[in-house]
Amino acid sequence: MVDVLIRIAGEAGQGVVTAGNTLIGGLSGMGVHLLSTQSYMSRIRGGLNWYDIRVSDRECFAGREQADLLVSFTNTAREVLSGSLIPGGLNLHDGEASDSANMIPLNAAKLAKELTGSTLAANSVAAGAVFSLLGYPSDALCGYLEKLFGQKSRELADANTKCARAGHECIKKAGFWERLHAPLPSGSVIGHIWSGAAALGLGAATAGVKFATAYPMSPSTATFAWLAEHSDQYGILVEQAEDEIAAVNMVCGATYAGVPALTTTSGGGFALMAEGLSLAGMMELPVVAVIAQRPGPATGMPTRTAQQDLQFALRAGHGEFPRAIYAPGTVQQGYQLIRTALQTAHWYQTPALLLTDQFLQDMEKLVPVFPETDKPIDRCLDLDAGAEYQRYRVPATGGVSSRAIPGGKALVVVDSDEHDTAGHLSEDFQARISQQDKRMAKLAAMQAEALPPEYYGPDTAELLLICWGSSYGPVREAVDALNTSGRSAAMLHAAQIWPLTPDAWKLRLSGRRRICCVEGNQTAQFAALLRETGILAQAETLLRYDGMPFTGAEIAERIGP
Amino acid sequence: MSQLLDLKKADTIPAWCPGCGNFPILKAFSGAFAESGLNPEKTVLVSGIGQAAKLPHYLEPPCNIFNGLHGRALPAATGIKCANHELEVIVTSGDGDMYGEGGNHFIHAIRRNIGLKVFVHNNQVYGLTKGQASPTSDEGFVTRIQTHGVMSTPFNPLALAIVEGCSMVARTCTGDPVHLKATMLEALRQKEGFVLVDILQPCVSFNQINTYKWYKERMRPIPPEHDPYDRMKALALAFQWGDSIPTGIIYRSRRPSFESRQPVLRQGSLVTRIKQKTLEQHQ
Repeated sequence: MVDVLIRIAGEAGQGVVTAGNTLIGGLSGMGVHLLSTQSYMSRIRGGLNWYDIRVSDRECFAGREQADLLVSFTNTAREVLSGSLIPGGLNLHDGEASDSANMIPLNAAKLAKELTGSTLAANSVAAGAVFSLLGYPSDALCGYLEKLFGQKSRELADANTKCARAGHECIKKAGFWERLHAPLPSGSVIGHIWSGAAALGLGAATAGVKFATAYPMSPSTATFAWLAEHSDQYGILVEQAEDEIAAVNMVCGATYAGVPALTTTSGGGFALMAEGLSLAGMMELPVVAVIAQRPGPATGMPTRTAQQDLQFALRAGHGEFPRAIYAPGTVQQGYQLIRTALQTAHWYQTPALLLTDQFLQDMEKLVPVFPETDKPIDRCLDLDAGAEYQRYRVPATGGVSSRAIPGGKALVVVDSDEHDTAGHLSEDFQARISQQDKRMAKLAAMQAEALPPEYYGPDTAELLLICWGSSYGPVREAVDALNTSGRSAAMLHAAQIWPLTPDAWKLRLSGRRRICCVEGNQTAQFAALLRETGILAQAETLLRYDGMPFTGAEIAERIGP
Repeated sequence: MSQLLDLKKADTIPAWCPGCGNFPILKAFSGAFAESGLNPEKTVLVSGIGQAAKLPHYLEPPCNIFNGLHGRALPAATGIKCANHELEVIVTSGDGDMYGEGGNHFIHAIRRNIGLKVFVHNNQVYGLTKGQASPTSDEGFVTRIQTHGVMSTPFNPLALAIVEGCSMVARTCTGDPVHLKATMLEALRQKEGFVLVDILQPCVSFNQINTYKWYKERMRPIPPEHDPYDRMKALALAFQWGDSIPTGIIYRSRRPSFESRQPVLRQGSLVTRIKQKTLEQHQ
């Protein structure tokens, strides 16, 4: 496997992400596998942020700790992160002279200024330089820049392609051409760069979401921003709510009126939504919330990652009502599962939650084209209901009543109080039992349709690594690493957290020598759920809660001999 | 399981005290609604929690109803209006629900000037929780919680709504059923934007200060020469309280509504636009 990691680092506000985007955008036409991750501090200026790009001849699923090339925008970045280079790793630094064979000087800003009269295209100089270090011609990069800037202005496009070529040439002249051992381009590796956050937005938009509201909160905001950016194209009304309480209640109102809708938040905001979630359970509304996790408690670490809200998402909201919880492991799964969450919510008229986190939200990956045939979800509405309609008539089985929306012949009455079949508030004990039973009856059907865990690795692997959500990537890479080194390992990944399918799980658990739950939290929350549901009595745990994501190498190492 | 008690006989409708100001409000609203010509099928009554918030359940003929959480009537109503702005969305709730628990939403729903008709049953006290101060209780009002009397300044919903450019701001009182109904009808006829009608009403159980008599002695209909589009004069009226309380339409603005400014709503309401869309533009 040929696998190069490029780390671009600098202060907040210096354009680290812009530089990263330019480079990954340019590389996306090269026919190599790409994956990027981000690490940044909670501030607008200063600090130390970095953007990692993996360039590989095989599909990547997670980040890596050690870099092959460090592109540093500041001395601090170089000093702090040089230690994270592999032995013999390269340093592309901002300057003229070089005192080490691994230190490659490039004064990108100066070069850009000389060529274009402005430092704005410095990122294109740097991207061209990296292309040269990889031994790639600059055509793909220039093509990308042409496309990116060409729509805005001819001048801008020309300036950037000129700078990219100059950066490329400069490295070549200095004798550093092909200094990185880069993967060979392949015609079969094609696709587009999508982030986890954007894939959720696209999934929601194609599923027919027409109303999105949220209070901004890292790391969920990127999904909300994607929806806003594409709101005209998809006909979505996007409204910034005054707080998360408003957001979830607006979604309750919009879904009551028949429009697929969602909100995005993080743990702290979701805490404010708990009562509204319970309202959706009581009124039987298809409310969907994306929860992008970050370390808590309280404000915690706003720009870091965690898998700490599983038990919270599972229990949030007073009273007892059914819910579905999904946790995508990859960018592509994010696209699929937000659609699944919306469909499940509409089928069963109950809330569905999607748990992601900073690691997966910011992860970008070259992914194959998303299926163009994907249709909007079925809202499962009874649009012909007449005057005799009752919203909460108890069906013979399954608990799902026919759902009408206001505006037609049927009057639709919904209440946060316990209610009768017509929806009017009622203190009748019989009505209470019958409505509560009806709501909870949906859970059995939801369980029958729940996604089974995904198994990866040899069927008879001795070591089984259990994970959920975004740990998919690191665990999958750990499994590959372990098997390459002669071990016998496999992964069992939960993309649906609730309800679980005990039979499908148990089938995969028998006959293992060792089972270990890998989670981004301190208390092994998923392992606890597996115990509670009788799926797995006991397991080892491998946990991380410092705010950074796992890597495959780290897991493989911590598993030990 | 043991035999369930049948409380149907005891669960009388409405759940209001005899003499409650909610009765005249229900009556006036029914009358105004019938006269307005609004179609119950195209109308949603939204409320929060409290005695006032139960009104939608008692309306004849009935409408669509969304009886949501305490304090959250406005965001729910906002979601409904966004999803289908062809619907008439009317909110009825109390002062605790609208000005206390839902205070933040009150500020921002009016800022949006979204097309909601909001009727606030303002009895200056919490009824369903049995007699605590509300955001509009007068200073010095003694309760079993505010044992030394209310020390906070009463909230002025009318002034806030005027400051934010609310489309229509009015005050009326249950003590004058004719005025009450006429004001409600005017509110229901408003074509665009947020409409706030603050309805002063006595609480016969828990407010022995602001009684029918107390309000009746102080109500002063706004003179016909008042120009409701004059914001400063409207503000002056909104600040009048005590011996003389102005009633009627205090303020009107020409601000466009939230719905009318949303580009995505120009082709019709969202609920009519759920259809397939290809991904071409993204690839």
